[in-house]
This record gives sequence, C-alpha cells and structure tokens, in this order.
Amino acid sequence: MRADAARADRNAAIRGAARSWRRAGAIDGATLAAIEAEVPDDRVRVGPVFRVLLFVFTLIAITAAFGFVAMFFGADEEQGVGWLALFWGIALAVATEVQTGPLRRAQGGTEAGTSFAMLCFLQGGTAWLLFDFGNLTPDGGTLAFFFGLGAVLCAAAAWRWGFPLYAAAAMAWLLLALAVAPQGRLLWIAVPLALAPVLLRLSDSPRLPPAHRASCAAALVVGLAGLYLAVHYGSVESRWVEAMGGRVPLLEIPVGAVTEFLSRVGTALVPPAFLALGLWRRRRLLLLLGLAAGAASLATWYLQAAPAPLWVFLGVCGLVTLAAALAVRRLLDAAPDKERWGFTAEPLFDDPEAGERLEAAASVVTLTPEARAAQEPGFKGGGGEFGGGGASGSW
Amino acid sequence: MNPDVIEAIPRLVERGILPAERAPLLLRAARRELVSVRLELRLLLYLGVLLVTGGVGLLIKENLDRIGPVVIASALGLAAAAALAWVWRTAPPFSWERVPSPGLAFDYVLLLGVLLAAADLAYVEARFTPLGPNWPWHLLLVSLFAAAMAVRFDSRIVFSLALATFAAWRGVSVAHFGAGLLDTRDDLVRWNAIGCGVLFVVLGLVLARAGRKAHFEPAAVHLGCLLVLGGLASGLGDRGWAGWAAALLLAGAGLAAWAYGTRRFPLFAYGVLGGYLGLTRFVFEGVEALGCFWIAFTSILMILGLVAVQRRMREPHR
Repeated sequence: MRADAARADRNAAIRGAARSWRRAGAIDGATLAAIEAEVPDDRVRVGPVFRVLLFVFTLIAITAAFGFVAMFFGADEEQGVGWLALFWGIALAVATEVQTGPLRRAQGGTEAGTSFAMLCFLQGGTAWLLFDFGNLTPDGGTLAFFFGLGAVLCAAAAWRWGFPLYAAAAMAWLLLALAVAPQGRLLWIAVPLALAPVLLRLSDSPRLPPAHRASCAAALVVGLAGLYLAVHYGSVESRWVEAMGGRVPLLEIPVGAVTEFLSRVGTALVPPAFLALGLWRRRRLLLLLGLAAGAASLATWYLQAAPAPLWVFLGVCGLVTLAAALAVRRLLDAAPDKERWGFTAEPLFDDPEAGERLEAAASVVTLTPEARAAQEPGFKGGGGEFGGGGASGSW
Repeated sequence: MNPDVIEAIPRLVERGILPAERAPLLLRAARRELVSVRLELRLLLYLGVLLVTGGVGLLIKENLDRIGPVVIASALGLAAAAALAWVWRTAPPFSWERVPSPGLAFDYVLLLGVLLAAADLAYVEARFTPLGPNWPWHLLLVSLFAAAMAVRFDSRIVFSLALATFAAWRGVSVAHFGAGLLDTRDDLVRWNAIGCGVLFVVLGLVLARAGRKAHFEPAAVHLGCLLVLGGLASGLGDRGWAGWAAALLLAGAGLAAWAYGTRRFPLFAYGVLGGYLGLTRFVFEGVEALGCFWIAFTSILMILGLVAVQRRMREPHR
C-alpha cells in the first residue's frame, strides 16, 4: 500500500470512529467537525450507494469493452481470447494503480471494479490457456498452480490496494491449493492453526494500516472456517476436501474408525473453541464464526442421530436460543454499569438504524408467506396455503 | 482494537478538541476493553423466532391427524395470545411518533406472537374453511392484523411483514428477494405487483406527510418502488416488451429524478438501474450486433454521469 494511501486510511479510521461517536450522541456536531478538520481526508470517496452503482457499471463497462475489442480484433480463437484476457487484466491493474495513486481514489467503487475485474481476467485467462487451449487436464500439478496463482494474485491485490475481501479470497485459494496435496486435509488443519496466532496479532498491529489489519482478520476467519470444514464429520465422510483437490480415487476409500471418531470430536469441540477464543480476545467476528459453526454442528448431529422429530428439534433449538439470548442480556444488564467481563448489551457506538433495516429486509425475505395463485380455477376444499405471516409450507 | 483511534484520542483531548470526560469510554471501546454484543443478541433472538415458527409449522404438518384440529388451533391461539399479552403488558403508551422499544426482546416476542397468530388463522381457515372459496382472504386479514400490531407497538419489522403479506394476498411473492416476480409471465401478477407497489408508495408518502408513524415511510416506499420496477421489468421478455421497456425507462428516470431532488440515495440507485435496463432493452432489439459497443459506451457515460451527480448529491461516506 502506498504511504499516502496508508496515511489516508488511518485518518479515515479515526473519522469513521468519530462519526459513530456522533451517532451515539457521545460528541456533538462541532466536535465531529473539529475532529474531521484535525485528521483531513485527501481521498476521493463516495457513499455506499454510489459505490455500489459505480462498481456495477465499471464491471459492465469493462466486460462489454473486452467483448467489443475481442470482436474488433477478431480474437475469436481460443488462444487469442486467453492472451487478450491476460493483457486486459494487466491493463486493469495499471488502471487500478492510477486510480489509487495519482487520482487518490478510495472507497470510490471504480477502483474496486477494475481491481476485481483484473483478478477475474487474469485468473480466467490463465484457466483458458491452461485447460482449454493448452489441453491440460485439471490434475494435481495444474490445479495446484491455478489455485496457487489465485492465492498470490488476491494476496498481492489485498496488500497493494487494501481490500479485505481479496485477503479472504487469497486464503480460500490457498486452502484449495493445499487440498491438492496428498495430506491436504491435515494441511487444512495445520496451516490455519499455524497462521491464526500471526494473523490475530497482525489484525491488531499498530504498524499496519486499518485496511491491512482488516485483511488479516478476514483471512483469519476464512482460515478458521477451513479448519472447521476439515474436521467436520460430514466433510470427512463425504471426502469433501479431497474432492475439492481433484483427488477422486481417494473418494472410494472408506473412512477409518479413528478418523471418524476424531472428526466427531472435532465437530463437537471446534465451535466452542471458536466461541472461547472470541470471548477471550473479545472478537465479534470469532463469536459470530463460533455461533455459525455451532449451528452447523448441531444440525449435523441431528442429521446423524435424529433423536426426535424435526419439529421438536427446531422448537427446542428456537426456545433455547431465545432463552440463551435473554439470559445473557439479563446477566450483562444486572452487572454494575451494565457490563461484565468487558461485554455489554448496550448499543455503544453501533448504528441501530442499520441493524433494524437489515432485520426488516430479512423478515420480508424469510418470513413472508407464499403468494396465493393469482388465477384460481375455483375453490378446492381443504387446500390452501399454511403460513400467514410466517411459516409457509403447503399441506 | 483500533490502534489509530487509541493513538488519536489522547492527542484530540490534549488539543482541546475532544472533551476529556468522554475520553475514557471511547478509549475502552477502541482498546476492545468494552465490547457491545447487542447485535449478536438480536441475531440470536431473530434466529430463535425463526426456529420456533419453523417448528410450529412442521408440528402442524406432521401431526395433523394425530393431535386433532381443535387441540392444534387452541394451542397455537394460546401461544400467540401469551406472547401478545406479554407485549401488551410491557408496551409503552401508544404514540404516532417513534416509540423507543422497552427492551431487547420486545420486538421479537411481538414478531413471534404475530407469526403464531397468523399460523393459527391460516390453519383454522384451511381446516374449517370459514371463508369458503374466498380462502386467500385470510392473507388480507393477517396483513391487516400485522399492520395494526405494527402501528400499536411501533415495529418496523412487523410493518414490513404486513406489506409483504398484503402483496402475497394479491398473488405477488416477495419471498426469496422477489426472484419469482421477474420470472412471471402472468399479466395479472404483474399488474398486481405494480398496483401493490403504487399503493405502498402512496401509503408511505401519506404517513410521512401526515406525520403519523412517519418512520414507517422508508419500508413502504422501498418495497413499493421495488415492486413497481420488478413488475415492469418482468415484461421485458414478453412479445409486447416495448411498452414495458418504455414504462420501465420512464418509471426509472422519474424515480431517479425524484430521489435526486429528495436526496434518497438507494431509491436513486433503483431508478438508475431500472431506467438503464429499460433503455438497453430497446438497443438490443434494434442493433443486437452492437450490443457490446453500446453497453461499454453507455456504461462509461453512466460512470461519468454518476460521478458528476454524486458530487452534487454528496452522499455521506461511511
């Protein structure tokens, strides 16, 4: 990351924190203005809606221009398209560099669009040349090269331009490359375990700009998710990691009893370990990862054991979830100053409006009943749609 | 942890920019010595409601014959009544203004009560058919009930649910992000979507103008605009696409212009995307061979235009 971009990123983090303080009423408007004057922002930024619009139209323009150029130069042969994609990718890297450098763009949508398209064109062009024109089969060596190239490209893009999403993608590509190795599943466990302390420390390091810290956190979460997948009972049973690495013959070999036992233990213990780490380090991302992994483990257990009808399982899980959330809130609220062990249920500096908007959108998407048929041939007794405002199964 | 903020706070206090009495709390939050888990608790409560309602749905489906209709209907009714009674007892007095929620669980217990009552009503209707051939009207009843609960207890989540259920009554599904709407080839569904959309937009504007639950306006207007644009866009693949494309172009442009004037950024985005889609449909029909050139050229124009508009609208960046 350029020094000026890193400095601007640090200033943006302070300005962002100040805006959240203002939203929560911790400071007044004059104080916010004074802070913003103290840490000036020399980048060209746009708001979230325009950012999305500019990103979308940049991607459309780049793709359409590629198609137009390919037609214009008659690059309709497979090799021509592959090389043109690589050239296009390099040109987009230069375009991103110009935008983040001399043009001082950050959070502007267009530089995200060009960098994202760059990754797609370089990776796509390479795949085209390797597998289509080069007639190489997607076996161990070529797959490892292809996945490794993705990891390197995404890591370089995250390091140079500071997009955390690319760091997450780099970790995902790395895991895919490791899956090709003979001991792929063990590497899925060992590598995230080895990287986790480093990434955890780097994600808090004052020496890194905020974008790089966030990149380390994103890579950490993907790595830990990979670790969970590697030990997960369902993934062991279905040889999911081996299939990802293209090691098809292994899929036929039955899973050993020890491996099966260890995977059951791992499925049960990894989610609480994530939760414990999240509580110990007070990391919300790890808490959320622990909750998601816990839900997945619980669902796996039910699918394997089926100890009760599904409605009982769902109802009990729902009631336990509600009770747990209320108990935690009560526990925190009952403590002096409404905080215990460094946690509080008070909103602090979060944006409550954003959460409520998300919930309203989610309720429309998930809880809305199925629509009735617009044109009905006539009443059919006993039929209909069960649900109303919520459940929507036909029966 | 945010090392930049940790480093900045003492400096801001020293320069007299930040009040010293505020610094300790801000520093604790920046050092991650104090972390709010409110968002996570809300997520858990929402998941809990989803799981319970899902379980109730399955309970009815799988035990219909074994338990008996009266028991199921009574149990559902009792559970809904218990939840709503708790809400009634806990709720602050009614106001047309925004009312702060009395607790973290309040909105979710209300949502659970409304969903259970809706399920009970649907079950009674399907089992005993009191509405006869007009059975879909139970969706309207659920919608009106949810709207009443939303207004009384000031819940935007339940209000959104009421609007979506009303659309379902008219045969328009907004579940799964309304994906089904775009695939529809049914003129009646399309017109119903447009009609619902217009109704929701008008409802939102009336609420805002009257100053009665004005904070419900965004939910109504956003859903309304999406339904109108989605309904119009669903006609682009039809034989008589030209009329739908023209309408989409006009509606999108009109929405973008209105949103520009009122600084409504998401609505501006809907309008721009809708208008662009309508215009592009015309071009693809006329000179399909130049499609790539047209899209590349107009996308660049759009980018330049958006950059210029953004400078005027000045959307705050986060």
